[in-house]
Amino acid sequence: MNAFSGFGPAIAAGRSGHGAVSMAVASGRVQLVTVRQRTLTMARWRVLWIAVGFAFIALMALVRIAYLGASDHGSRATSFADALLPPRGEIVDRNGVPLARAFPAYALWFNPKALGEDGAPLVKSPEDVASRLKAIFPDLDEKKVAAQLASGKQGYIRRRVLPEEANRVQEIGELALEMPTENDRHYPQGSMAAHVLGYVAADGKGRVGMEQVLDDKLSNPATRGTPVPLSIDVRVQGALEDELARGMKLNQAQGAAGIVLDVDTGEVLALASLPEFDPNKIDARGQSLMFNRVTNQVYELGSTFKPLTVAAAIDAGTIRNLGKRYDASPVKVGRFSIKDSHAMGATLNPIETLIHSSNTVSARIADELGPERMRRTMIDLGMNERPYIELPAKGFPLWPGKDWARLTNMTVGFGHGIAVTPLHLASAYAAMVNGGIWRPATLKKLGPGEAPKGRRVFKQSTSSRMRQLLRAISVYGTGRNANAPGYRVGGKTGSAEKPGAGGYKRSAIVSTFAAAFPMDRPRYVVIAMLDEPKGTVASSFQRTAAWNAAPIVGRLVPRIGPLIGVRPDDTRDVDISDIKPLIPEAASE
Amino acid sequence: MVTGSRIRQIGWAVVLGCCFAMLLALTFKVNAVKSDVRLTERKIIAAQQERLMLETEFQTRASQHQLSDWNAVEFGYGAPRADQYLESETQLAALGTPRGIDAPSPVRVALNRPEREEDEDNGLLSGWIAASQPVLDAQTGVSARRELAATGLAQRLSNPVSPIAKVAEVTQ
Repeated sequence: MNAFSGFGPAIAAGRSGHGAVSMAVASGRVQLVTVRQRTLTMARWRVLWIAVGFAFIALMALVRIAYLGASDHGSRATSFADALLPPRGEIVDRNGVPLARAFPAYALWFNPKALGEDGAPLVKSPEDVASRLKAIFPDLDEKKVAAQLASGKQGYIRRRVLPEEANRVQEIGELALEMPTENDRHYPQGSMAAHVLGYVAADGKGRVGMEQVLDDKLSNPATRGTPVPLSIDVRVQGALEDELARGMKLNQAQGAAGIVLDVDTGEVLALASLPEFDPNKIDARGQSLMFNRVTNQVYELGSTFKPLTVAAAIDAGTIRNLGKRYDASPVKVGRFSIKDSHAMGATLNPIETLIHSSNTVSARIADELGPERMRRTMIDLGMNERPYIELPAKGFPLWPGKDWARLTNMTVGFGHGIAVTPLHLASAYAAMVNGGIWRPATLKKLGPGEAPKGRRVFKQSTSSRMRQLLRAISVYGTGRNANAPGYRVGGKTGSAEKPGAGGYKRSAIVSTFAAAFPMDRPRYVVIAMLDEPKGTVASSFQRTAAWNAAPIVGRLVPRIGPLIGVRPDDTRDVDISDIKPLIPEAASE
Repeated sequence: MVTGSRIRQIGWAVVLGCCFAMLLALTFKVNAVKSDVRLTERKIIAAQQERLMLETEFQTRASQHQLSDWNAVEFGYGAPRADQYLESETQLAALGTPRGIDAPSPVRVALNRPEREEDEDNGLLSGWIAASQPVLDAQTGVSARRELAATGLAQRLSNPVSPIAKVAEVTQ
């Protein structure tokens, strides 16, 4: 710039040396110089403006750098704890094995408007894209997806996509295939304990099981960080479902139900209702199977009530002598007649009554006890209200009402005329063997000392006597198929005809085995129930519980015993030597 | 005086400027560390999510149904029987052969544990062979030699030649 400015006057001075040149030429020169100077000035200004512009941009950049460096921006976007908080709380079993967990996952969504409103939604042909998707997801229905892509309607192609699969879908290079992040509720054990857990519907709310009960706790940000432990033990639950399913198949039953209950705390270790649904995939079939047979369906549970009748009679003092013989001939009350399934002898003592499962003697024992005391015992055992458990679906028993007629009392004595859920029966058996305390069943894990106080139904002495009697049934009576060696199982069979239109259906029965083990110090009650079993080769063409439900318990107990702290031991058993002389089968040994 | 005050003013300005520059540098540093922390947190979150995912996948693949199916097809393991359990040392000892009333006192044998090199030289069974030979003279100059009574429970358990070895396997 200085070179220019110095050069201009020098030229002007050089030219002015020729004084003789005409004025016109001189004035032209002056004009030229003025133009040149003006141009130069303008050029200087322009350069200056550009420099100012650059300086301004540099300043802005510096300010921005200082701002970025000095301000702690973005830290409030997501806090660390928030990011690690699951979208919905985890449900675990009593040993911490996850039963339900939620995590952010991807879905595969077809958005035909991704490439703009008009024009084809896909770059490649729908068939080509479908075949590429098929290569990633081998179980995909290629034709269906191709039709969906060709139709141009938006919708899910897949609800769950793994991250590596998502990457491979990206490689197809179709913008219309979107992968929105969604919260995925996953049940790692599949259909196991489905009726206990329930599922989460599309609206994000829990349904059916504990998902519904614990919904607030599982979705509240303050509490969902800690997993909720249930009383369920996955291993026991697995074994129970396994054995029930096997029994159900072998006997061609419509359904099966089972429960394993801790007699001292009321905790439910396993609860199964078959056939079950898969909470990971709720479809129409799943919806139809959500009915819980353990807590919602009421059954006349038949002979499994007989030990309760005998216990009530011993407790009330109407049975003081177990050697007392009762008439076993059919009982006539009004126009009704109570009969046994087969002749068991002219007279029976209470022990033989249970071993052979006699209706007539049970009815006579109940009659001797009287309707009021029988009713009181049933109320104390909670048979007149819905079962105590957290699950939302609880069946109301068919309860004979306030004033029991003589016949009502007698039929309840052998488990008819009253319909309860299998869970009612489990809680009642727990009270009968644990020393006489009834406690509500729970699906929440209880810590030491958290067990509810419960209420006394039977005397301690009655409970000890009942342990002997139940053990005698499974050693000498109908429960022999449940007598797993070393586990001291005691229990009672029950096979009741199902009520249908116009009386009881001969063809449809409910067979139940209610058991407790080990009888020398009962820890767990096990109930296994089959709905409408058929006589098959597996059950020697018998339909009664001794042949189908009892073997389920006999196979289940050895599987679960060592896992839940009951070791098989041939050297221990409840002492039944004092009642042995009253049992003909034992006397002949 | 004037120059002195001027210098002092410039000095203060320089000190102020330095302080400001240091403050700025410090703030930059702090924020750099903070953003590093955030980056690490993000990595931790990603790792946690991946862990959760893998854990769930493992659990799904190793679900109870799956395991029991495998067991039914492949392994056939059954529940343990009552006779596979031992409650106490007394029960364990009861499995051994009891000594008769007039039985002679147990034969005391010496165990000669060979050195490791000898072991390699003579083969694996050399130690056992040496141990099973009764050594009458306890004063021979072998260093690693000790006596044991064949009826001692602990020794019998530790000595695989003894018939109790089977019992020890059962209790494991």
